[in-house]
Amino acid sequence: MAVETTENGNGSASLLDVRGLVKYFPIKRGFLRRTVGTVKAVDDISFDIREGETLSLVGESGCGKSTTARSIIRAYEPTAGEIIFKTEDGDSIDLAQLSLVEMRPFRRQMQMIFQDPFSSLNPRMNIYEIISEPLLVHGIGSSSEREDRVAELLRVVRLRPEYMRRYPHAFSGGQRQRIGIARALAVNPRLILADEPVSGLDVSVQAQVINLMMDLQDELGLTYLFVSHDLSVVKQISNRVVVMYVGRIAEIGTPEELFDSPKHPYTAALMSSVPKPHPSQRTKRYVLEGEVANPANPPTGCYFHPRCPFATDQCKVEVPPLVKSKDGRFVSCHRADEIELTVN
Amino acid sequence: MTTETRQPTAPLDSGFRRNDVAAPLDSRVRGNDVASARNDDMSGGNDVASARNDVASSGNGESPVAGDAILSVRGLETQFFTDEGVVRAVDGVDFDVLPGTTMGIVGESGCGKSITAKSILQIVEAPGRITNGEINYNPSGDAGSATDLLSLGANSDAMRSIRGGEISMIFQEPMTSFSGLHTFGNQIDETLRLHTNLSKQERFDLGVDWLARVGIPNPTQRMHEYPFRFSGGQLQRAMIAMAMCTNPRVLIADEPTTALDVTTQAQILDLLQRMQEENDMAILFITHDLGVISEIADDVTVMYLGKVVETGPVFSFFDEPKHPYSKALLTSIPSMFTSSRERLPSISGSIPHPQNRPMGCAFHPRCQSFMAGTCDVGEPELQSVNEEQEVSCFLYEGQ
Ligand SMILES: Nc1ncnc2c1ncn2[C@@H]1O[C@H](COP(=O)(O)OP(=O)(O)OP(=O)(O)O)[C@@H](O)[C@H]1O
Ligand SMILES: Nc1ncnc2c1ncn2[C@@H]1O[C@H](COP(=O)(O)OP(=O)(O)OP(=O)(O)O)[C@@H](O)[C@H]1O
Ligand code: SF4
Ligand code: SF4
Ligand SMILES: [Mg+2]
Ligand SMILES: [Mg+2]
Repeated sequence: MAVETTENGNGSASLLDVRGLVKYFPIKRGFLRRTVGTVKAVDDISFDIREGETLSLVGESGCGKSTTARSIIRAYEPTAGEIIFKTEDGDSIDLAQLSLVEMRPFRRQMQMIFQDPFSSLNPRMNIYEIISEPLLVHGIGSSSEREDRVAELLRVVRLRPEYMRRYPHAFSGGQRQRIGIARALAVNPRLILADEPVSGLDVSVQAQVINLMMDLQDELGLTYLFVSHDLSVVKQISNRVVVMYVGRIAEIGTPEELFDSPKHPYTAALMSSVPKPHPSQRTKRYVLEGEVANPANPPTGCYFHPRCPFATDQCKVEVPPLVKSKDGRFVSCHRADEIELTVN
Repeated sequence: MTTETRQPTAPLDSGFRRNDVAAPLDSRVRGNDVASARNDDMSGGNDVASARNDVASSGNGESPVAGDAILSVRGLETQFFTDEGVVRAVDGVDFDVLPGTTMGIVGESGCGKSITAKSILQIVEAPGRITNGEINYNPSGDAGSATDLLSLGANSDAMRSIRGGEISMIFQEPMTSFSGLHTFGNQIDETLRLHTNLSKQERFDLGVDWLARVGIPNPTQRMHEYPFRFSGGQLQRAMIAMAMCTNPRVLIADEPTTALDVTTQAQILDLLQRMQEENDMAILFITHDLGVISEIADDVTVMYLGKVVETGPVFSFFDEPKHPYSKALLTSIPSMFTSSRERLPSISGSIPHPQNRPMGCAFHPRCQSFMAGTCDVGEPELQSVNEEQEVSCFLYEGQ
């Protein structure tokens, strides 16, 4: 299958260039754990992240967002594809080719905030130990310097430094989420892969964390890969957004482009489902019809065709490639240039 | 395939939670799917009934239970006795949930929402303890027949049969509520075995059916899979399936859609509302997402630092919020109209910890309407300000 890379007109500006990334998981069954199929969690996707920008990944639950992020930091072994990372010296290196030992120096430059805050915090370590662990691993600072750093990070995520000797279970869900953020920030990484970092936070704390992430970006030139289902947050924080559907990319664009004039029918469906913040508007809840595609046995042609109101016979057999549309956007839909989509 | 023995689950509180939540037999099954399975051996049901009668007759006549609330929480206090002192996580909470309606609970991170929910089921982890209050549960709807769940005792048979059966809970962090050692199928099987009298095959089929209902593709295969193979949102929906499969009368949903994209979230909210209409299920819906509140809640309770500061119908909350904290919450909603890279207003000041509550009104250090000499001296009480809304704030005192 042809891969269109998302050329950005200024190749050297990308911090990360993901090309043709594929991640399949085998499905095993029975006593002998025979492989009876594969889950095509990420199925040939390409995008780049420019230095200092925030690129968001959005899409239906199970469409492969976490798998993409985890493959980039090699928490999962990619099945195929290149993950080109620009080092501090300006060299380009394909992370997918590195052994885990060779990968180590790059680990410090890339930190991941995991989706499930509690299971990613070791219950037997206190907050000080959790947050200072990456510092210790990379041999940064004396013990008193580390303590100061942890206190500073806790203040940054608006937790009280006095609680650094407490264990994770003594914190609420949102507090644990912020502990994960503090840990990711500890080693001053260049790229942060943030998987749903604010999903459990109330609006006020969420606004603080998002504002903080943007401030740090401005001050330190951080780059973010941001996974979130909260489209208003995505709109607020992103420079560009990648919309995924069942392991593939449906569309890439700026928030304004995607929110105001989506080109892919799935993007339009997504945008229309955002709950309106007033109970008087609840009658018009938009529910996407049809079965959720099964990544172990995806539909033929365009994966979205069984649920797409615009599907034609061509859509049922031919996979639409991700191509640049007339006005310079990336869309994978046979009919992108002929259909008019609106978001209500 | 099914492992009948329960292996202890590893980390800290998850083991506690699982063992307790999925505790013994509730034969009082409702609803179409499982009605045919009604237990012939009524011992479980009798236990519940007799426990309930005992409690009712041992009398607690003075409790001011609202008319036909199925769940009525009064003066609930839950505290953590830590080495550093007492954390008053829940500090006098009152609210009612009527059958067939949804009560939304909102409030800042750490204000005690989850601990309130866990207190209802009496699954607060040590060093936490419920120190005061009543949790009146009235499934029959008959006046005067409510049971104070707290008087049943956390480990009583009656409480075990209610927990996870008639009153079930969707936990905030799905990953920690499942055991990593068992397949999803085994875990839902266990719940159904404890709370229904279905055959093994029927339990499996119902599990498949529920996975499909929450929109998980390839449900038969997924029954055989371990939790780590589920995506974050799939796990959250699997948790919802577990909580719903027993047709609960009261569903406590603690941030049940945080891991879901908006289209999947819309499907789940739809499913909850259909279940609610079919079974008259009451829902206690904890969320930080005011968009979701506006979609699903009939009433809203706002908490701040362990206390209820405002409660009333959802329309009043959005149109005429009374408490300064409620107003601040509503102005910090990020909206689709926010332009990108814009900073959002957030409530200024840091969140106090329940261990060191400010004097007077707990919100006063951050309040725009702070009145010196009043708000930092006395504590306002929750009181009616009109037919519908109750607020605790000195601005409305004496109205
Ligand atoms: N085991 C514990 N020991 C000490 N304090 C605890 C413990 N568990 C919870 N707390 C405290 O109790 C308070 C209430 O916690 P709770 O989990 O109910 O918050 P929440 O409102 O659900 O917040 P969130 O929106 O972040 O989930 C928090 O301040 C928390 O730190
Ligand atoms: N370790 C694994 N083994 C097998 N399958 C997996 C594994 N991790 C993920 N999957 C499958 O891959 C698909 C994509 O999962 P992924 O976690 O990337 O989704 P996601 O987009 O992050 O979804 P969510 O929004 O629900 O978190 C899902 O069908 C999931 O079941
Ligand atoms: S390619 Fe066809 S089915 Fe797919 S989104 Fe476009 S119109 Fe719909
Ligand atoms: S009592 Fe005073 S400080 Fe508290 S919310 Fe009302 S006006 Fe603000
Ligand atoms: Mg995910
Ligand atoms: Mg909580």
